[in-house]
Amino acid sequence: MFIDVSDLRKTYTSGMIKNEVLKGIAMKLGKGEIGVILGPSGSGKSTLMNIIGGVDRGDSGKVIVDGIEVSKLNDDQLTEYRREAVGFVFQFYNLVPNLTVRENIEVVSNISKSPLNIDEVLAEVQMLDKKHRFPRELSGGEQQRVSIARAIVKNPKLLLCDEPTGALDFQTSRSILKLLQQVNRNFGTTILMITHNTAISAMANRVFKLRSGEIVDEWVNQAPIPAEGIEW
Amino acid sequence: MVMVLNKRLMRILKENKLRYLGILVLIILGSYTFIVAAGLSQNLAVLVTTFTEDHVQEDLSFSTDRPISDVAELENKFDALIEEYMSFDAKLSDTLTLRLLSETKKVNIPAIIEGRTLSRPGEILLDPAFAEANGYSIGSQIKAQDKTFTVVGFVSLPHYIYPLKNVNDILYSPKEFGVGVINREEFSDIDNAASIYSVKFNDRTRSLNMQAVELRKYLQVKGFTVSNWIDIMNNKRARIVWASITGMKTMSVPVPAAMFLLSSLIIGIMFWRIIRRESVIIGTLYAQGYRRRELMRHYMAIPLVLAFAGGMIGSLFALPSIEPMVMAMISYYNVPVPGIELSFLNVMIGILTPMIFLGLSSYMVIRSELKKSPAELMKGDKQKAKVNALERAFKLERFKFSTKFRLREQFRSISRLVFLLLGVTSASVLMLFGFTVLNSMNHVFKTSDVYLFEYEYTFRDLQYGEAPDGAETFNAGKFYPENNEEIEFYITGIEPDSTLVILKDNKGNVIPNNQTNITKSLANRLGIKAGDTVTFINKEDGKPHTFHIDAVAESYIEQFIYVPIDEFNKKMELPEDSYIGLFSTKELDIPDEKLSGTKSMSQLPEAMDEFMGQMISMVALMTIVSSVVALIILYLVTSLAIEENRNTISLFKVFGYRRGEIRSLILNSSTFVVVTGFLIGIPVAVASMGSLYGYLGNLINLVLPPIVSPIYVIISFAAIMLTYQLSKCMCAKNIDTVSMSEALKAGTE
Repeated sequence: MFIDVSDLRKTYTSGMIKNEVLKGIAMKLGKGEIGVILGPSGSGKSTLMNIIGGVDRGDSGKVIVDGIEVSKLNDDQLTEYRREAVGFVFQFYNLVPNLTVRENIEVVSNISKSPLNIDEVLAEVQMLDKKHRFPRELSGGEQQRVSIARAIVKNPKLLLCDEPTGALDFQTSRSILKLLQQVNRNFGTTILMITHNTAISAMANRVFKLRSGEIVDEWVNQAPIPAEGIEW
Repeated sequence: MVMVLNKRLMRILKENKLRYLGILVLIILGSYTFIVAAGLSQNLAVLVTTFTEDHVQEDLSFSTDRPISDVAELENKFDALIEEYMSFDAKLSDTLTLRLLSETKKVNIPAIIEGRTLSRPGEILLDPAFAEANGYSIGSQIKAQDKTFTVVGFVSLPHYIYPLKNVNDILYSPKEFGVGVINREEFSDIDNAASIYSVKFNDRTRSLNMQAVELRKYLQVKGFTVSNWIDIMNNKRARIVWASITGMKTMSVPVPAAMFLLSSLIIGIMFWRIIRRESVIIGTLYAQGYRRRELMRHYMAIPLVLAFAGGMIGSLFALPSIEPMVMAMISYYNVPVPGIELSFLNVMIGILTPMIFLGLSSYMVIRSELKKSPAELMKGDKQKAKVNALERAFKLERFKFSTKFRLREQFRSISRLVFLLLGVTSASVLMLFGFTVLNSMNHVFKTSDVYLFEYEYTFRDLQYGEAPDGAETFNAGKFYPENNEEIEFYITGIEPDSTLVILKDNKGNVIPNNQTNITKSLANRLGIKAGDTVTFINKEDGKPHTFHIDAVAESYIEQFIYVPIDEFNKKMELPEDSYIGLFSTKELDIPDEKLSGTKSMSQLPEAMDEFMGQMISMVALMTIVSSVVALIILYLVTSLAIEENRNTISLFKVFGYRRGEIRSLILNSSTFVVVTGFLIGIPVAVASMGSLYGYLGNLINLVLPPIVSPIYVIISFAAIMLTYQLSKCMCAKNIDTVSMSEALKAGTE
């Protein structure tokens, strides 16, 4: 399995109050698959994704990504892991406002050992003609395209998407999902996506349903549908 | 409701302790230097002006070959006060001379600063520095010229404020020379005492130069041979103090004032940004029913409290330092100090200026924010995403990513860029200023390569004949351009085949001395070049004289026109073989009373040691202060940049940037601004020194060249860069503490 999480636990402590956000999570995702984590706010899905992405650490349990035991990496190794293996797509795009579209992608290609050609990636996300624009000159959908381009330019093994369509309208959301599916297909990138939107699970290979820090349901989708067919 | 809100204030201050402490220190420094410098120059000016006016400082003095029988008639004719006094140099030991002066009543009236006036024979009033250096106290006795005097008091004299032995001397040593005032009757049995007339013109509206020329002509017409003619503007004993005061005034008040304004500007910009960043909070509070004035009061509290606290602390430190500083400055001079005035107005300015600046800038920003609707405010600061014209103007695409990022980082915030540039430039100018003064003084007092002589002797009266072996004659006169009495300079007649004055052109070739040569610094000041024919007025007789300039000599230090001595004498209608001074390679045996000044090139650096020691401590202090200012400014800017880039830093961390890479991108973005700021500082320092020196040069006839030596530029640059590195180290922690979760939770672009 590409992602293999077992008995992952995480508790946040604030003063006297302890909040157990992950209560022994176990999940698996195959290489080149699209996984979707569904769940309400506070269910622990972002924490789970952050730990898989190496931006946070679990208290106990194992997280293995592509054979690397992420849970055992020190800070420097985690940095290298994020640098080479993981791409992030955020709900609110998180583009650097004072850099152009192309420069926002350079932010990542600059530190990558074998990045893809920036212009090719921009063409892939249909943003080549807007590469000299600044983020504020783009629509939300366009910004998310840039954000995806930025994430895939280093050709990561794993793409983590936190509510990638959460701030977008229906049409734009569908085009973004289509793009993600296209990236998955063209580059063979494993994608793990967080969403509230149950309709999106139709395009996933595996779906995990989280509630209060536990996976309450999990299923394999034998026939994922193309993003164009998703309705909500 | 507002009270609860105000609990935030201390928390806000605590959250960014270092930043607010930096601001506070800047305000304290600004207030302190402003109040001290203003107090210092005002007090010094008042002390000297009051003294010279109340005690009737002379406009000129001279000696004649025979006594002027009807002084009263002369006074009437020239509407002047004229008083004769006696002067005699009594040798107390081989190295110690006491100049005995007779007490005057009308001009140069002695001011008793301690003890009492002269009342009976055998009493003397002494110059206090001389008394202290040689162990004389009131009541002690002093033996001079076979007479014993009892010291009854200490005295200040308006024409001996800086008691130089000769008017052309530069440094004063109370261990070698001093003045004492005795009753005129005491001179009856002192042979060879000189009789000197002091003149003070009553008409202050007419040109004093012209009145002096008329008086001199009249005396010549009446058959007097006039000698030792010294006008007060050329009398370093009286004028050097003004160089200090004007120097203080010209340099010290604008410098701290600029620093002060800069601090206020910095703080204004900072608050502007802080308040803009808080726009979501403002919008939220506004939406919840807070009134505009309540929010205004809340946000105004921080800048006002900081400005008030800084102003108060600065004033509290400054007020007690004024008196000792005035006393330290005045200790070089002999001026009575009836009292030091502490200006309430200056204190108010010191406190109110930062309050007004900070208050105004904060008020305007808060008002503009509060004008917006709560919904608009709650959307957050959109300004940060704007791309300004400067950023667009530069075609940044061609650079590599890190360069592009750093340049955009600076261009994005013009105000921050300007503030950083201004701050670094000011700190550099301040630092270079100190070093330049040190350098210039060094140049003036150390032998230049133009002069190859060891001694320069200036006689009181014209001499005739040949120069002794190893010496060369010179003659000199003071001139000013037509219609500009402000610029005065010497035209010196030197021997046409002189080997002791070597002038060179800009290629390093020696220029012959049998022609009229001008030094480059004077040529620049007068705006003339080789080949020009120019007319100058001789200060002594008011007559115009025309000179054809043959060459410009490459000398930035000396401000002279050199002509062959024969030509000079002919033009000035002086006897053919006459001269006023000698340049000599060895010490000459010339009686002291014949000389008005002696300069020894090798002794000067020694005599300068003490003076330079003080200069060096002043320069060190200036360097430390400017480094502290630079450090605060750099820290404030960098921490502000980090604050504004939190999301980007967080993102970089998420993307896998290493700590060193992030530090390099964010912290090094100011490097080119710091270097540019420093480079701008060099010409600014030279230009400001040039104008200050030009002014001082006129004032005391001592020409200081504004020389910035490469070694000092390197030292200053190293100091600035070291400060920059230190500020980066201080800020590195702030970058490390930015958490990755900030980007993950970010709710806006």
